[in-house]
Amino acid sequence: MSNRPAAVSLTSVGVAVPTLRLQAAQVSAAWGGSSHKGAVALCDSDEDTLTLAWQAATDAISASGVSTDQVSGLWWGTTRPPFAEGPSHAFLAASLGLDASSQGALFAGSPHAGMEALLGAWDALASGHATIAVVVASDALVPGIGTAGETTTGAGAAALVLEAVGGDAAGPAAPARLVSRATRYAPVVDRYRADAADSTGDVYDGRLFREEVYLPLMTEAARAIGSTPAVWAVSDPDGKLGGALAKRVGGRLSSAEVQAALGDTGAAAALLGLVQACAQGDVSSGETVGVVGYGGGRASAVVVELSDLVPGASRISAKLKAGQQVTYTTALRARGQLEPMADPIQMGLPPGGAAFVRGNTEMLRFEGARCTACGTISTPPSVHPACTGCGETKLETVRLSRIGTVVTFVVNQTMPPPFQAPLPLVVVDLDDGARVMVQGSPADAESLAVDDTVSLSLRRYALERGIPVYGYKASRVAAKPASPATRSGGSADDTKGAGR
Amino acid sequence: MSWNKVAVVGAGLIKFGELFDQGYEQMASGAFGAAMAGVDKGIDRSAIDAVIVATQRGSLWGQEGIGGNTVPSALGLSGVACTRVENACPSGSDAFRIGAMAVASGVHDVVLVIGVEKMRDKSTAEGLLARAAAGHPVYNRGETAPVLFAPFATRHMHEFGTTPEMLASVAVKNHHNGCLDEYAHFRNEVTIEQVLASPFVCSPLRLLDCCPQTDGAAAAILTSADRARDFTDKPVYVAGFGVATDHPYLHEKTTFVSLPATKLASSRAYEMAGVGPNDIDVAEVHDCFTITEILDIEDLGFVEKGKGGPASLEGQTALDGRIPVNPSGGLLAKGHPIGATGVAQLTECFWQLREEAGDRQVSLRNGFALQHNVGGRGSGVSVVNILTRNSA
Repeated sequence: MSNRPAAVSLTSVGVAVPTLRLQAAQVSAAWGGSSHKGAVALCDSDEDTLTLAWQAATDAISASGVSTDQVSGLWWGTTRPPFAEGPSHAFLAASLGLDASSQGALFAGSPHAGMEALLGAWDALASGHATIAVVVASDALVPGIGTAGETTTGAGAAALVLEAVGGDAAGPAAPARLVSRATRYAPVVDRYRADAADSTGDVYDGRLFREEVYLPLMTEAARAIGSTPAVWAVSDPDGKLGGALAKRVGGRLSSAEVQAALGDTGAAAALLGLVQACAQGDVSSGETVGVVGYGGGRASAVVVELSDLVPGASRISAKLKAGQQVTYTTALRARGQLEPMADPIQMGLPPGGAAFVRGNTEMLRFEGARCTACGTISTPPSVHPACTGCGETKLETVRLSRIGTVVTFVVNQTMPPPFQAPLPLVVVDLDDGARVMVQGSPADAESLAVDDTVSLSLRRYALERGIPVYGYKASRVAAKPASPATRSGGSADDTKGAGR
Repeated sequence: MSWNKVAVVGAGLIKFGELFDQGYEQMASGAFGAAMAGVDKGIDRSAIDAVIVATQRGSLWGQEGIGGNTVPSALGLSGVACTRVENACPSGSDAFRIGAMAVASGVHDVVLVIGVEKMRDKSTAEGLLARAAAGHPVYNRGETAPVLFAPFATRHMHEFGTTPEMLASVAVKNHHNGCLDEYAHFRNEVTIEQVLASPFVCSPLRLLDCCPQTDGAAAAILTSADRARDFTDKPVYVAGFGVATDHPYLHEKTTFVSLPATKLASSRAYEMAGVGPNDIDVAEVHDCFTITEILDIEDLGFVEKGKGGPASLEGQTALDGRIPVNPSGGLLAKGHPIGATGVAQLTECFWQLREEAGDRQVSLRNGFALQHNVGGRGSGVSVVNILTRNSA
């Protein structure tokens, strides 16, 4: 078996980090015992592995210059998809706006899934079955309460756009290429989650795992790739194993900065390390990066050769610095491990029901119905057989802009569980002329203002009867312009503006 | 010329409040008795040949399926024709309008319009607040009742400089009026300071900017103008009415400083009644939130657009003001049992036009009173009824 299939080019990358940060000392304070250092990233209650994957892949596609209808498929790796069994891949593909005929696969079951997605996409490209692949690795694992995993388990996502290297060797130079790979396995139980459990447990014994599982497998895979990269991007379940591995194989560890900011990002860890290497790498020397991921008794290594700046990579630095520090109590609520005893109010429409079968695509793709007569966009299309502007019935479905201006808003403070106050609800005039009302970010509750610029991102609106329900939410990206009447007219009767 | 084909010959209501001791049927019976007792020359219940019942959310007391057609039985009228009207917050006022049309058509001779709503048989969380999880799973998620109006307050403040004090002045005035109304849920004065110190329910609206959850029932008896004097020497005539709709989602609003359905409904009612806003002596309008009354008095034409806040603060809508609004205490103090609300407002108009409103009686110049509701998802429907004591 060759460890050098046809090389593929790395066109662009994207990164996503969740909103919250928890200092390990907060966990130590709650449980007593020795004090832990560092911090981990975790999802707010409306984020999960799919929303992180969406953000990373959206950014990578945007940085690539490729249009979504050119993408052959989505290769997604995540230890635990939002549906243990179910339409996870279809939901993500729809929210990315990929064509209904696009291909790809979902890899899951262990943090090795991120590497499997990368290798799977590579296979599809090398075989000629695909020409442009979106690879995304994401994780937002929930550690067991009171386990060591609480101070190490982070969350994040990395996405790559890969393209087949054409037969023409003198074609446009790719900023980076994937050139070789290797995989090793051992049938051992490490970190795992049993069928009925809500959260992931720790490895049986840290020393046993390090000496007999992680270091031997990772070292073997790293040495099997046939080159000696100067930089390594590795997955590291506890924050100390990566350093031990680097000593054995020799070289710098680009994943360490990511680990320090976010904790162990599981399936995303090795690829986030690769993005960090792309952002920092010395491209003039043709630097190579060894990407080595681990999970579930498997280790895979991939060599990436850098020859130019990789579009999208430089954004990682700001993302690693972002994040809202929270208390342990807030973290438990965000993870769904601390819930009020009152029964949550059920959604009026069951998320497995007909209204969702009719409406899921338009919600995930974020669509409106544009009137061919007057141009008004009515949203959502499924409840608007007639134009809200002129009443005509010839409408075409369009994807909506995700940037716009606040027309008006409220902050709802009074709702029963499962809602959490404060909850901004924002009416937004999108840049394409459509007007929508969506939820806003609680972080903006104190400071949001009319005429602010907001950006819309995929979030989890509800976890209803075990089913995640996704939609777009607005968060502020810029305060209102200093001079009045630049974005919205501000006329006394505030009619919908130009572009309609 | 007003329409004046139909007259109100009796009207009444029960004291509004948290009526834990009365069921839906008992409330209906109380309101029916009050309306019958309000018929000056007396009326036998056998005279009633149709009942129009307004109940908006039977789900609030767990009886969605039967609210309406059980009412005649509870009133001793079993066998009579009966139809339930559900048209959001204007359910009561629309039931009245439909009752008037039923009489005017000649199909029915004497029609009882009765609004009944049980708001407090379910807990707040399972009742009114549960709508946060109803409707579209994304575009309506988190949309409790104040969310339907608070965005208008935000924008009205932004465009016209309307202040929290101006909003609060509406609550202060309506609580004052409620003190004078023995049927009101709340009969206590509040100050601007108290309103501004109450907690946010849905900013910029605070607790005292919001109407309470109230049980209640109200009834009115309609007959033809020709027959009215068989029952009373002081009939009040239906001068005109209008109903109008708007798009159901908030994001489909083309304005956040006006409720277009109110404008349309009132323009139709004014035209039918042959009057304009300056001819109205007193108005009972939909003040589910303080901002709603400010929007109403602008959209109904009582004050210029954008001036509703200052007009309220200056007392133009007080009992002795230029245009008295909500002498009964309004939804803010009297309460808002949804199906009953419109009928109770019409009862207040009936009393005001007959100069029977006691300490809260306003002075009449032209003899016209206006009643208004607006509601539904995205304020998608409004009804306006205009009553007059003038026989022609």
